[in-house]
Amino acid sequence: MLYALMGLGLSLITGVLNIPNFAHGALFAVGAYLLVSAANAIGNFWIALVVAPVGVALLGLAVEYVGIRRLYAAGHDYQLLFTFGLALILSESIILIWGPVGYSHLPPQILRGGLDLGFTFYPKYRLFVMVMAGLLVLATWLFLEKTRYGAIMRAGIENKEMVSLLGIDIQTLFTVAFALGAYLAGIAGALTVPIRGVNPGMGVDMLGIAFVVVALGGLGNLLGAIAAGLIIGIAQALVAAYWTEASTVVIYAVMAVVLLVRPQGLFGIR
Amino acid sequence: MAILKTENLTKAFGALRAVNGVSLDVEAGTLHSIIGPNGAGKTTLFNLLTGTFPPSSGSIHFDGRDITGTPAARIAHLGLARSYQRTTVFPAFSLLDNVWVAAFATGKSWKGLMWSKTERYTEVTERALKALADVGLADKALVPAREISHGEQRQLELAVALAAAPRVLLLDEPAAGLSPEETRKMVALVRALKGRYTIVLIEHKIDIIMSVSDRISVMYFGSLIAEGTPDEIQKNPEVRRAYLGGVPT
Amino acid sequence: MKKPIVLLLLALVLLPIVVRPAIAAEIWIFAIFGLGLNLLLGYTGMLSFGQSTFFGSAAYVAGWLLKYYGINIFLALGIGVGVGAASAAMVGYLCVQRSGLYFIMLTFALNQLFYFIAYQWTSVTGGEDGMPGVPRPALLGIDFQDPLTYYAFISILFLVSLWLMKRIVESPLGKILQAIRENEVRAEAVGYNVPRFKLLAFVIGGAFSGLAGVLYAMLFGIVPLEAIGFAFSGNVLFATLIGGSGSLYGPVIGSFVFIVLSESVSTLWARWPLLLGLAFVIVVLFLRGGVVEAWSRFWSWRSLKQKI
Repeated sequence: MLYALMGLGLSLITGVLNIPNFAHGALFAVGAYLLVSAANAIGNFWIALVVAPVGVALLGLAVEYVGIRRLYAAGHDYQLLFTFGLALILSESIILIWGPVGYSHLPPQILRGGLDLGFTFYPKYRLFVMVMAGLLVLATWLFLEKTRYGAIMRAGIENKEMVSLLGIDIQTLFTVAFALGAYLAGIAGALTVPIRGVNPGMGVDMLGIAFVVVALGGLGNLLGAIAAGLIIGIAQALVAAYWTEASTVVIYAVMAVVLLVRPQGLFGIR
Repeated sequence: MAILKTENLTKAFGALRAVNGVSLDVEAGTLHSIIGPNGAGKTTLFNLLTGTFPPSSGSIHFDGRDITGTPAARIAHLGLARSYQRTTVFPAFSLLDNVWVAAFATGKSWKGLMWSKTERYTEVTERALKALADVGLADKALVPAREISHGEQRQLELAVALAAAPRVLLLDEPAAGLSPEETRKMVALVRALKGRYTIVLIEHKIDIIMSVSDRISVMYFGSLIAEGTPDEIQKNPEVRRAYLGGVPT
Repeated sequence: MKKPIVLLLLALVLLPIVVRPAIAAEIWIFAIFGLGLNLLLGYTGMLSFGQSTFFGSAAYVAGWLLKYYGINIFLALGIGVGVGAASAAMVGYLCVQRSGLYFIMLTFALNQLFYFIAYQWTSVTGGEDGMPGVPRPALLGIDFQDPLTYYAFISILFLVSLWLMKRIVESPLGKILQAIRENEVRAEAVGYNVPRFKLLAFVIGGAFSGLAGVLYAMLFGIVPLEAIGFAFSGNVLFATLIGGSGSLYGPVIGSFVFIVLSESVSTLWARWPLLLGLAFVIVVLFLRGGVVEAWSRFWSWRSLKQKI
């Protein structure tokens, strides 16, 4: 589910802005760390859960304003270098501010322990994450499908010139899309904290997975990204049950195989 | 015998039949024009002939051989070359390099592809320079393509097609966006090429069509609605209707 | 174009005096790596963000054979080149059908695949600890243990690589690849099987990366996990862009800048990647076109000033 969130956010950014966002993993990490600090400072997990992703979205806004908007015409190599540099800056800053050692963080009182599902005990928090992430994906999906602005955004993925010809401010569209993508990454990061804790390398691992999800789902294909995210998540969980070490490799291997058979990804158009 | 022939060629994009059952015969050495209002499917027809995408149904024959479905990269080697409606050359290259690259592709051999300096390929360079000379751009051979005027770019567009030493030239609106003076030059150019190549021409400027064509085919919403000599086409009432009176008497 | 060659030879000779031979060697190795990438990036217009796949794979395979089978140095180099080319063929085959963002993402994701395989396969690669103990065998009685001797060896290989790349770039293939960059549709229409040529460029780039990888392994005596990681891919990209992807020598200059900077800063501060990231950002925002272009712009500005 979390993979779907990450995939959706990245697909949105790459689809609308047409830039390779190699900082997406770092945004995820920032969301996680902000949650830890906010939770410790405020003392309430739930408030922190609301606040942290907003922080990431703000960061996204700032980044877009200062840097990315100058690079729309630049060419993918420079965009890549920029977001990659940003990722480095963010991950190193995380180490500077929070230290190189990871933390763990307990879930809030209500969600501790497991739920008796009859055939197995499943951690309550994980269920919560699944539901929460699912709701977020649904909410984003509804926004994109049902609202006017969402429709504009989807149109922007298809055809930017058309959208700007219709008199819509394409710059705002880009900014909003980036901030939204950042928000999704941030909240995915925040949600993940009680499950796996935080560590400075978490951004990098997630970045790769996010790219796999987007590649499989078809670039700019938002529904595809969601579906691919779910598939990848399930596949990984299945493999991890039998052969833990290979679980990450499997994700990439699956991608390679799928692309061999279907170069446009599972749901891509071309 | 027809050097280029299509049989019931159709290309559908979803529900839209951009090209609908077109059967065309182009005789060797002639200049065969294709006219029709915007959206009639002329450029799509060209795209089918050059293998940009395969047809939905029907066949294409070149020199007696069925070439339906041949991929674009192989078409040039068969002897079919095309110029585009929107200038699509290699901007950072000099004019010479533009034609050189096209001439090399269809050259006799690719020996030394990764090894020999480009200067060594005298035969290719000669053919390239000749193509430039044919269109009147030989004196600007070393100028980067993005620095020449629009009219000259249309000439370059044509030269790149010529450099492949084709037998059939498919020219898609070579006079697009040209001033009257430049158009005159282009017409003279096309006429000069007429004997040496078989030419299929798409154009909107009727005076050009009438003055250079041996035969004209008229397309309308994907179908061929008329075919004949310039005289016959002028007098054809269906054609007049299709153009809403745009064809001069 | 005699001047660059003279400058280059001077640099080759003087460098080990100015910096440690190991650093100097690293510069030329990285330059070879960059040359490979630039064939793809500057000439063909393909942004491959996974070159370390070939660099690292070659390093691991050759390192393994050197360590456990004691192969001679030429064989090691040959295998490095071969592994680089073969892995590039595999990756390229999956990637060349796509372009733009898709292509970039694929090269990155496949890089990660190789990375995680190397990470997990600890019995062979040593995982996070890397593969230490890579020897530097002697050749025809020449002992390469001495840093300067090895440096000389690397310099020669660099010159050979540069010459090879120059030949390729000036050949018809060079023109064809640039044509693909300029206008892929027309290149195809004119008669070139574009995916096949892209794959060829990929393989050549991979071969150069592989060579760099083996030399790197032998230089430091270890194959670190980073050698196959995306940070390395990013570094070579940065080096190529800052030197200027528009010229043959760009990656060489960029390699200089990058290695010198990173080596000097990394000893000062453990958080130096932060500065690296900042450098990336600054270069992108202000120094586009790289050092070579800035330099030529500076010269044309100067000559303009003199005319006034």
